[in-house]
Amino acid sequence: MRSLYLYAGWVRLWHWLNALLFLILILSGASMHYAGTPWLLDFETAVTLHNTTGILLTLSWIGFVAGNLLTDNGRHYRIRFRGLLDRLFEQSRYYAFGIFQDAPHPFHVSAEMKLNTLQQLSYLGVMYLLMPLLLLSGWSFLFSVYLPETLFGVGTVWIVAMTHLTTSYLLVLFLLVHLYIITTGETVLTNLRAMVTGWHRERGEPQ
Amino acid sequence: MRLFQARSRISRHALPWVVACALSFASSLPASPLLDSDRPEYPPDTTELDSQARDCLRCHAMETLAYRDPETGEILDLAVDPRLLSHSVHGEMACTECHRRSYRRYPHPEQAGRETFSCVGCHEDDPEDATYQFLSIEEEYARSVHVAPGASEAEDFSCHSCHDPHVFRVSRVGKEIGQVVRDDNRVCMSCHRELTDPLDTTHAWLPKRDAHWASVRCLECHTPPSDRAERVSHQILPAEDSARDCVGCHSSDARLLNRLYHYRSQEDLARKGLIAKALFNEAYVVGMSRNPTLDALSLLVIGLTLLGLTAHGVGRYLTYRRRTNRQ
Repeated sequence: MRSLYLYAGWVRLWHWLNALLFLILILSGASMHYAGTPWLLDFETAVTLHNTTGILLTLSWIGFVAGNLLTDNGRHYRIRFRGLLDRLFEQSRYYAFGIFQDAPHPFHVSAEMKLNTLQQLSYLGVMYLLMPLLLLSGWSFLFSVYLPETLFGVGTVWIVAMTHLTTSYLLVLFLLVHLYIITTGETVLTNLRAMVTGWHRERGEPQ
Repeated sequence: MRLFQARSRISRHALPWVVACALSFASSLPASPLLDSDRPEYPPDTTELDSQARDCLRCHAMETLAYRDPETGEILDLAVDPRLLSHSVHGEMACTECHRRSYRRYPHPEQAGRETFSCVGCHEDDPEDATYQFLSIEEEYARSVHVAPGASEAEDFSCHSCHDPHVFRVSRVGKEIGQVVRDDNRVCMSCHRELTDPLDTTHAWLPKRDAHWASVRCLECHTPPSDRAERVSHQILPAEDSARDCVGCHSSDARLLNRLYHYRSQEDLARKGLIAKALFNEAYVVGMSRNPTLDALSLLVIGLTLLGLTAHGVGRYLTYRRRTNRQ
């Protein structure tokens, strides 16, 4: 049995807080967007809940960025360009074919690099591209009066609304894939357990 | 300019009276969201009125002041409500800034009787003209259903038919939006009283009709789309050309959205401050972020992804079972 302490306390706290906020935001956001659909929240409740949770998500995102700058967790997000395409291809081929044939994982977690290349790129895209867009467009909804009325001849509110909508759909998509991919560790629960306890355990010689 | 020149058929001053009639008429009917009284408190505060206006109001404040036009035989209302005048946009002006100077004498000389007024005449040099653009208002007005060629009552129609100069107030940011809606709709309802008839079917197609009437101005559907955030067009559309498309308002790129969202946001901020605005954002309107294409496409992609993931999971399970069976 090989054990690695991969997820520091603050990372796990941030992750689960983020997960909770995501779920609340998806539910309340859908309740605003599709207001009137029977099983959703009541509109007024949804607006207040969505805005409050959105503010908390902003703080949580700032916490994540600060944590990565101040601790060594940030090193997992530094892209190694050498062999990037090969690693991406290997990882994709594993998910497409190898995984059905019990082929060995092309990537082995280590204290230096806990994310495989596909994971790393999607997390980078989510945390440093989609999340800022989502948060900025969310705040722009609230304070649109301070923005120009039109942008490139199109109403700013519309651009803000479409940006917010598109990024939120993409993040829902990310969440679905994320929830599934975490089951592809050594056992279905290996990765989930690691995010709860901080320890990544798998068969093999202890290091 | 011609269209803007309203002859001083003193009957223009009859509008408050007509409104009062409409209100008392409405009180006998089931309450309509289009009618709501917002009269200032009594006794009236006339301190802001010009001293000359206060002199004129010694007679003209009498609610029953009227005379019979010797030519037409029509009874003409001469009353001006001091409460409404003092709150109106012209409240601080002297009466003779618009009316003939000879009215200062009493009894009024007979030749003072007929006057012409031109709104644009005063307002074209107005520093606020940049905001309200009176000349473009004039062009829009000329195409309005009320005065366009063929309009049955075009002769009697003028700016003052809707904007009673003794009553008119501009809606400023900070005024509660429901109040803006009620004030503006009351102007339409002072003539279009048939809409308060419970059996009226003109708006029967409109889902949640009363909710719309309580929170949307008649003008939002009965004017063509306008890019201006500060005001709607003055071209009032006939019923057949008015908006009937739900998505026209209930979607993100809608004509109503920018103006409404902007106003509500400013109003929220002015009344409640930054934090409450961030938490409660009352400006968000149901449907404003909807985009049928984007929604359908996203739900499709999400659905396909779910399907793909499920298939992948089932595949993993089946191959895993086959492997363990073999062993």
